[in-house]
Amino acid sequence: MIKITNLVKVYRTEEMQTTALNQLNLEVKEGEFVAVMGPSGCGKSTLLNILGLLDDPDSGSFLFNGIEVANFNERQRSSLRKQHIGFVFQSFNLIDELSVFENVELPLIYLGVKESERRKRVEEVLDKMQIMHRQKHFPQQLSGGQQQRVAVARAVVNKPHLILADEPTGNLDSSNGNEVMELLTDLNEQGTTIVMVTHSEHDARYSHRIVRMLDGQTVLTDIMV
Amino acid sequence: MLKNYFKSAYRSLLKQKSFSFLNIAGLTFGLTACLLIALFVWDEQQYDKFIPEGEQVYRVYIERTTVSEGTENMAFTPPMFATTLEQEFPEVEEALRFFNIQWKVLFEANGKQIYEGSGIAAESGFFEFFPLHFVFGSPKNALADPTSIVISTSLAERYFGTENPVGKEILIDNDPFQVKGVYQNNPKFHLAVDYIIPLQTMGFPEERMQSWTWQNLFTYVKVKKGVNGENLEAKFQKLVEQDVHPILKEGGMTYLPQFQPLENIHLYSADFKYDMAVRGNITYVKGLSLIALFILVIACFNFVNLATAKSLKRAKEVGVRKSIGASRNQLILQFLSESILLAFISVLISVLLTLLLLPWLNDFTGKQMALPVLNPLVLLLLVSLSIIVGVIAGLYPAMVLSGFQPVKVLKGGSAGNVQPGKIPWLRHGLVVLQFAVSVLLIISAIVVYQQVEFLNNKDLGFEKEQIMFFPMRGENMVGNYEAFKNQLLQSPGVSSVSIGYGFPGDMVAGDGIIVPRGGEHKRYSVTQLMVDHDYIKTLGVEVIAGRDFSKEITTDATEGFIINETAVKELGFGTPEEALGQPLHWEVWVDEPADSLKKGQVIGVVKDFHYKSLYDEVEPTVLQIFPPAFWKVAVKMKTADIAATLEHVKTTWNSFSPEYPLEYGFLDDSFEQMYKAEDKLRALLWIFTGMAIFVGCLGLFGLAAYAAERRKKEIGIRKVLGASVQNIVVLLSQDFVKLVLISLLIASPIAWYLMQGWLQDFAYRIDIGWWVFGLAGFAAVAIALLTVGFHAIKAALKNPVKNLRIE
Ligand SMILES: Nc1ncnc2c1ncn2[C@@H]1O[C@H](COP(=O)(O)OP(=O)(O)O)[C@@H](O)[C@H]1O
Ligand SMILES: [Mg+2]
Repeated sequence: MIKITNLVKVYRTEEMQTTALNQLNLEVKEGEFVAVMGPSGCGKSTLLNILGLLDDPDSGSFLFNGIEVANFNERQRSSLRKQHIGFVFQSFNLIDELSVFENVELPLIYLGVKESERRKRVEEVLDKMQIMHRQKHFPQQLSGGQQQRVAVARAVVNKPHLILADEPTGNLDSSNGNEVMELLTDLNEQGTTIVMVTHSEHDARYSHRIVRMLDGQTVLTDIMV
Repeated sequence: MLKNYFKSAYRSLLKQKSFSFLNIAGLTFGLTACLLIALFVWDEQQYDKFIPEGEQVYRVYIERTTVSEGTENMAFTPPMFATTLEQEFPEVEEALRFFNIQWKVLFEANGKQIYEGSGIAAESGFFEFFPLHFVFGSPKNALADPTSIVISTSLAERYFGTENPVGKEILIDNDPFQVKGVYQNNPKFHLAVDYIIPLQTMGFPEERMQSWTWQNLFTYVKVKKGVNGENLEAKFQKLVEQDVHPILKEGGMTYLPQFQPLENIHLYSADFKYDMAVRGNITYVKGLSLIALFILVIACFNFVNLATAKSLKRAKEVGVRKSIGASRNQLILQFLSESILLAFISVLISVLLTLLLLPWLNDFTGKQMALPVLNPLVLLLLVSLSIIVGVIAGLYPAMVLSGFQPVKVLKGGSAGNVQPGKIPWLRHGLVVLQFAVSVLLIISAIVVYQQVEFLNNKDLGFEKEQIMFFPMRGENMVGNYEAFKNQLLQSPGVSSVSIGYGFPGDMVAGDGIIVPRGGEHKRYSVTQLMVDHDYIKTLGVEVIAGRDFSKEITTDATEGFIINETAVKELGFGTPEEALGQPLHWEVWVDEPADSLKKGQVIGVVKDFHYKSLYDEVEPTVLQIFPPAFWKVAVKMKTADIAATLEHVKTTWNSFSPEYPLEYGFLDDSFEQMYKAEDKLRALLWIFTGMAIFVGCLGLFGLAAYAAERRKKEIGIRKVLGASVQNIVVLLSQDFVKLVLISLLIASPIAWYLMQGWLQDFAYRIDIGWWVFGLAGFAAVAIALLTVGFHAIKAALKNPVKNLRIE
């Protein structure tokens, strides 16, 4: 599904330039659950942003479902993203002004799904995440675990093939964290490919494979049994 | 410590250049407008303040009620007011009367001849009431002698330069007067006159000076110290009601005398008829003060808006400062010194701008205002203004900023106190208000523009172009007007000449006309134009029934009347054709023999033509040939070689009245003069509209900046979820478009009401079309979108990852 070769990403600021990804290679197969680990600042988030087509690489190749997307422009990336990719962030990134229902509905609006269809799909996914009773609440009225469940619901509502999660349990206590990991595992078992960045060896154990990074490169791949 | 604050404030301003620029620009703009308005308002209130014991002086005017005109205030009073007040009321120290010489008279002195237009004939106590500053001579007994004259410095300069003219002779229409003194023109005196001669010179008959009904004089009283003017006014009113009202009732008119304090004359006489005072208008002064206050509040508010938007960005700085031990008060001081510095810079620039714009404003208002920047009091005022504005504008952002929780901010939580579903009413309300004012002004500007265009382009029913216009002077010319006219016609450049009394844009006479019908004689009030055989031809007025006056038919001069369409209707003649031949009688304007009647009939009907301004409806009008009233000359010229034609007119003039210089104008010029006020209003409205739009945009700009900053994270999330750039721009703009639409809803009815009121003054006016509101709304939305769009597009184009990164 994903094949990355010799990917380079450099950040330039006024004072200095940082090579966040340095000739990185990575392959992710359809249906895999991959965990990415490594010290802070080694480029994990950058990698995830590029995988999520939120950012473009400086050089290298990025094949998504066999198509070269490294040189896609903003519009092409956006259209690919809204159809195939869902995001889960450490800080949830829910919109404070919108209710739970509206937050989850948003990706469908941007996809141009009809209203009746939207309602059906949002209710379906909220039901699955067991937060149906909270649909009229606003994010700030929910606990961290509930917020992250909403975020996961929002990530899967458009039935993406790929879910990218950046430290999804980083702001949660262990029981809430486990709940989110269970959700992701379920989704993976139903066929969704998942790439997750994590600091926690415990969480990483839910995955099929751990990719370890250092200074913008993959250094090791552990296969889970 | 203080120095430290300002140093840090200065650096911070430099660091945020575009923000500082916007803020300074907005504040400077508001302050400049305020300063200019304040100068104007202050100046308007300075009239007659220089007169010692002025609080004891009142002007007496009358509230006159007639059947046709209703009740109106008139500055003209009968002579008996002063006599009675002086003789029967011990409270009165002195009373003063003068007569306004409204026409131009020929002055001749020191070899120079000029027509002078502003003078009065006053009783000798004038300079005790109004002790003007004398440059030459003395006010004492200056008006005692019937041939004495006192002149202003500006008039003196025209004839005598800087020389002392006291004792010199001036001929006024060939009568000799002797200069007794020269007073300094005072722009703050409500009587802007250039010469004063004794009232007795006018030669009003003694019986007229004892009249209660002949209203032609201005009356002032000076009461004794400690006397209450209102009580005196009431007593005098009672006397008039008892003794004078029985006499007045016969004429169908009554009046009540009123006392007006001297210091109110300039600002509170706007609606007075026949007033000669230099007048302002208290409504304008109050309105302008309100506008100035509004501008200042809005400018401060915009400052707050921009600064608050900016503050979200500085949340981190606050967190750091706090975590290293800054107290809240220190932070408030820190941010306040920034805003005070900004305000100070703005005040400085606006003072410069004001000085730059002042000559223009002086020109526009005809005033001589100055901003004495070096006056310590003014300096103090300006410095306090900076501090006050700085504190007002800076306090709220300072409080918000200093109130940020360091832990929350540093951890990256949302810095703004966003509460879902809560709308910032005050912020939005003020922006709506600003835009409502803009919309109001846009609509007004369009309506005024349309009306002025309408006035300028309306078919007046006659041709006013290329017509030279002047009064006849000297007995030789007036006595031989036929010969004068014939000689004028000798030039090939002159196509026709008309001599008469009652030309468009000039004075016209109102008088009665009698329609004998059956046995009854009914009197109608009409305008009478005293014309010659060439009037209709010269002005190109259209005859729609009957015929023009003809020289071949000798009875035309003695029995012929021509009337206009309105007269046909008002006099009850049915159609123009039916009006022909109808008998008309007119009481001839001669003293002897009394009651002599001119009996004639209608020989022609002309189409209505607008000889007055379009403020007035066309009146029923009668044209007839009456040489004794002939006074003015209209010369219709051909376009070719105007210079030679003018030369010919001058030569002809000099061969009849060489002792008078020729002073002429053009008919179309005097017509344009009538709409000068509208032209000024139009200019003023464009300026105010531009100002309001600018201020409104600045407010919107600040609000949009704030919104974009506050919703940064949300925009990032939406983009990650697939929102396109358009989606984001629409999202950010729609709120503002809503605000602008609300202001359109508020402003439109108000604008309609105000403009409808303004248009009421014109007898001929445009209708306000719906498209005006559409256009104003469209303009406002477009302007708003341009302003907001900048931020919206900037925010939408940003890489979402940047806004979602968490350290
Ligand atoms: N927008 C950016 N501008 C400049 N440098 C960046 C930016 N984003 C990340 N970096 C730098 O790139 C490197 C990798 O960052 P990141 O991918 O966020 O690391 P990780 O998620 O593994 O902690 C870091 O050194 C970081 O400082
Ligand atoms: Mg990271």
